[in-house]
Amino acid sequence: MKRLSPVLIVLIFALLIAACRPAATPPPDKLAEVLARGTLIVSTDPAYPPQSELVEGAQRVPNTKCTSDQRTATELAGFDIEVSKEVARRLGVEVCFVTPNWDLIVAGGWADRWDISIGSMTITPARMEKLYFSQPYYTTPAAFFVHKDNTTFQKPADLSGKRIGFGAATTYEYYLEGILEIPGEKFEVVVKDPILRPYDTDLFALQDLALGDGVRLDAVLTAQPTGASAIADGLPIKQLGDPVFFEYLAAAVDKAAGKDPVPLIKKVSEIIQQMHADGTLVKLSQQFYGLDLASPAAKFDLSALKQW
Amino acid sequence: MEVACSQPSSQLDPDLAVGLALVRKARRTRLIETLKVGTVWIALLILLTLGLLQLRFDPQYVFKHAGFVLQGAWTTIWVSVVSILIASVLALFGALGRLSRNPIAQGISSFYISVIRGTPLLIQIYLIYHGLPQLGQQLKALGYPELARLLTLDAFQAGVLALSLNYGAYMTEIFRAGLQAVGHGQYEAAAALGMTRWQTLRHVILPQAIRIIIPDVGNQFIAMQKDSALVSVMGVWEITFRANRLARKDAKFVEMLLVAAALYWILTVVSSWLQSRLEKRMAHAYER
Repeated sequence: MKRLSPVLIVLIFALLIAACRPAATPPPDKLAEVLARGTLIVSTDPAYPPQSELVEGAQRVPNTKCTSDQRTATELAGFDIEVSKEVARRLGVEVCFVTPNWDLIVAGGWADRWDISIGSMTITPARMEKLYFSQPYYTTPAAFFVHKDNTTFQKPADLSGKRIGFGAATTYEYYLEGILEIPGEKFEVVVKDPILRPYDTDLFALQDLALGDGVRLDAVLTAQPTGASAIADGLPIKQLGDPVFFEYLAAAVDKAAGKDPVPLIKKVSEIIQQMHADGTLVKLSQQFYGLDLASPAAKFDLSALKQW
Repeated sequence: MEVACSQPSSQLDPDLAVGLALVRKARRTRLIETLKVGTVWIALLILLTLGLLQLRFDPQYVFKHAGFVLQGAWTTIWVSVVSILIASVLALFGALGRLSRNPIAQGISSFYISVIRGTPLLIQIYLIYHGLPQLGQQLKALGYPELARLLTLDAFQAGVLALSLNYGAYMTEIFRAGLQAVGHGQYEAAAALGMTRWQTLRHVILPQAIRIIIPDVGNQFIAMQKDSALVSVMGVWEITFRANRLARKDAKFVEMLLVAAALYWILTVVSSWLQSRLEKRMAHAYER
């Protein structure tokens, strides 16, 4: 009996290996695989409305090609979901969703569990080490906000040397410190030597600004949609001038994918450019955000990222 | 005695009548006690409800959306049941390893327990889901694509594997105690009958040990139902995932957290009840 056990172990291993037969000649790249399979598997974490959220009581798409552990187009909703559906439609395949936590998506190393992330991911140098990015499909513009009663500030440059609030460790802080770098984008820091006032979140900074013109803060730098929704909630503030920089939000594929992902991300970039050109993305942005956040993303120069 | 048993007419035997009266009395006392405890439970439930109503929460939202979260209960149960079964097998082998005189088996078993019990379940889940495929890629580079595919688990499989490995380690100690609790005389008797060690284990020791082990496995199962919530990080749509994501959608955190908590509670109450019935059945053999 004792002699037998190592033999048994080897036998079991041999059986295991024999049990998984190699697949028929694998398609040459990820794009070909997606087209052959007839489904585009998109990762999205439905924790971030209005980009991605659950739909209650949804029926699965009838006769779907998605596997049982994937979600069909009807089971999720949001801006990212609409973009995903449209991308898949233009590829001529069905869209299927998987819903891992956000940190598992940005970590890369997806092990081919899904093909692509269409999840409002900001292009950053750190993420570019693990992922290839597509043409961005929309942007988060950063803008200065001042109190409604203020009349002395006409443009962002007027805020030099003033007290400016922002969320700590955000891109807005890096911008004010003059160390922000965004791949593929050139911008000028127009506000010189501001007095930095970091907050836990941007919302607290906006609350302090709302106390009165110059009471605690002279201005806040935050995302334009964040400021816009604060104004909609009745905060007495206004946007000062145009956005000062943009964060670009794009689709991404895993560099470590089993099959070459570059043709897929190039094809998706092409589709996103079409969607910019024919106004699909502007319309979706208006529908979900009430603002045109898409147009600046069309002008982004993807080749400047030097990804391949 | 034999006469009394064959003729259940108590009039003939005054002793039996006294005995039956005693049994009736004992039953009544037990019923009254149960009622008292039940009253305390109801009072506490009312207090808890009153306390929870002080939270800012919208009961209508709960009633409207509880069904969506409830659909996740099947996934939670399924993950837990599959995991506890695999964990039991692992625990049995772990315990046999712990008790064996073979240094390799003992080493493997104690190392397994040490590593698994020494690390958080959440990190094990991440490592199995995110890390294992990377090991697979290395093996693929070495020319074993089949192994690579074997190591790339989907979310459900990764969750079940992590829960099984984790609980298997804790349950190894339960199984070891159960096996050791079987009297030494049983081994000697089996040896006297000329049984091999495997036969002894299979026909003599395990059937007796199982009786001791089962109640504790029930406890582990109850704990596992709640730990299965961690599987939500990989996007398995079980109770916690559904409650959490729905809460984010509508900014109804208290409501959805309470729904999830209530569902887990109901699940464990039902499991405890099943466990107590199983225990009673197991105890039959020792009743006189």
